[in-house]
Amino acid sequence: MKNNYGPIGYKPNPVVQLLNGLFLLFLVATMLIPIWNTLVISLSSNASSMEVGLKMWPSEFSFEGYQTVWKTVRLWEPFLNNTIVTVVGTTLHVVLSAMAGYVLIQRGLPGRNLMISLIMLTMTIPGEAIMIPVYQVVKELDLLNTLTSLVVSGLVSGFSVLLIRNYFLSIPYELNESARIDGAGNMWIFVRMYLPLAKAGLATIALFEFVGKWNQFTPALLYITDQSKLTLQIALRSLVVESDATSSNFFMTPNVRMAGVMIAIIPLIVIYPFVQKFFVKGIMLGSTKE
Amino acid sequence: MIKRYGSLYVMIIPVLAYFILFTFYPLVRGLIISMQEFRVIGDRPFVGFSNYAIVLQDPVFWQTMVNTVLIGGGTLIIGFIAPIIVALSLNEVIRAGFKKFTQMVIYFPHLFSWVVVGGIWIYMLSPDNGLVNGLLKLLGMDQPIHFMAEKEYARWIMIFSNVWKEMGYNCILYLAAMVSINPSLYEAADMDGAGRWQKIRYVTIPQLKSTMKVVFLINLLGVFKIFDQIVVMSNGVIARQVDVVMGYTYQKTFIDFKMGVATAAAYLVIILTLVLAYVIRKAIRYDDLD
Repeated sequence: MKNNYGPIGYKPNPVVQLLNGLFLLFLVATMLIPIWNTLVISLSSNASSMEVGLKMWPSEFSFEGYQTVWKTVRLWEPFLNNTIVTVVGTTLHVVLSAMAGYVLIQRGLPGRNLMISLIMLTMTIPGEAIMIPVYQVVKELDLLNTLTSLVVSGLVSGFSVLLIRNYFLSIPYELNESARIDGAGNMWIFVRMYLPLAKAGLATIALFEFVGKWNQFTPALLYITDQSKLTLQIALRSLVVESDATSSNFFMTPNVRMAGVMIAIIPLIVIYPFVQKFFVKGIMLGSTKE
Repeated sequence: MIKRYGSLYVMIIPVLAYFILFTFYPLVRGLIISMQEFRVIGDRPFVGFSNYAIVLQDPVFWQTMVNTVLIGGGTLIIGFIAPIIVALSLNEVIRAGFKKFTQMVIYFPHLFSWVVVGGIWIYMLSPDNGLVNGLLKLLGMDQPIHFMAEKEYARWIMIFSNVWKEMGYNCILYLAAMVSINPSLYEAADMDGAGRWQKIRYVTIPQLKSTMKVVFLINLLGVFKIFDQIVVMSNGVIARQVDVVMGYTYQKTFIDFKMGVATAAAYLVIILTLVLAYVIRKAIRYDDLD
């Protein structure tokens, strides 16, 4: 299925190839250098991280930044909260979306099309625009300052439900019917037959959701004021952006801030190979849902 | 009948309940709040459309609207063109390894939160030991530029950091679309004696039209959602240039405690978004393609 455009089809012009390659290398550099620079500074000692000038290698290698940010600034607390919210939120998101996706493929189920329309409708409502009434609901449910509020925020999404539904639709419906004739119940069919066959789809939304929950910002900004319940992004914001203004007695050296940034992206770097593997497929399926 | 469908309804109840409680109910609730004079204690009298009138007469609202349109519009246009150019460029690359590596690297920042991206760029642009000023110094500038405190740079910084973050994501959508272009189109172009540029101009770009339309529409709907980025990257000096509509809503709710006014502003944005989406759909004839 490879198209014969590019490599094949015509003889490559060396000048065009060279200029094109240089352009892309420049682009890669604008992406990699800031991240590399962040890593280098995070691994520098307090003193050397404050030196003026370009650094592509730590002049004084040290974990001081990481120690300070983890223990003194106590970033481990928001890190732990973030991990709890992300793991619980992602798991529930996948399970609930998969269950709904399974229900929505059942032929002859009364109300099925209405439910599908309602779920598609939710995708057109901009979440940001209803953040205040949603805040009111969270408040009235007595969920302010709880990690539960962050798990609940974005607990499911129309996108995930319909994506999983698309995966389930590609499984022959006759399998479903014959299992039913053999006396299998919905739970058995769902868990034993559908979930294993849709592993790739489940992995896709799990990864999307993991990244989304890990980076969750606005809900945490609105719902959490209690210091012990802060999540990583909020704690990191006051560390990297506001530290000059908020901590008068404790000067935050650049290595401490950049160590905070690195800690926030390490889990994302770890899951990145899996994201690579699944996400193009996921996006393509998601965008052809109509 | 009940035995067969009962368990199915039970499986989808959590999802439906979530959407009713956290999407549809808040949507209605917000409409009510936007027509009330909001008080923290006591009753909340209905005031009709006067909150909307207050918003429309508030110069601060219009200033944030102008900022949203300038920053969002700039991001929309540059963020639309850049990934197409990069995808076309990547498609010319012969070495599969280099192509894959570049693709991987430019997608990276999409995974990071705005706190991380904002933190990295604020540091890169800082006057003392930022990378950008370091480079400018190497090029012969004697005075460092305080990028984050310069009014004329502020909006451009927001636009370019956004493009930097999201370019790789959109780029991969185009690459995926390019792979599925029918190879016989290029063969036909070969027969007609088309060169490299003609193939790009008359085969590749027209074949990407439907992807372009989807990407443009999705990005357009994102214009009025800009929030996290500004919360992280704005500061006292440049606030007037960069504060956006969602920031206005946040400010009115949590700092001025005028929830009615804030919600009215958010609903004006919802209406505007829907109108805009409708107009654009008509204008680019989004539907006639599939």
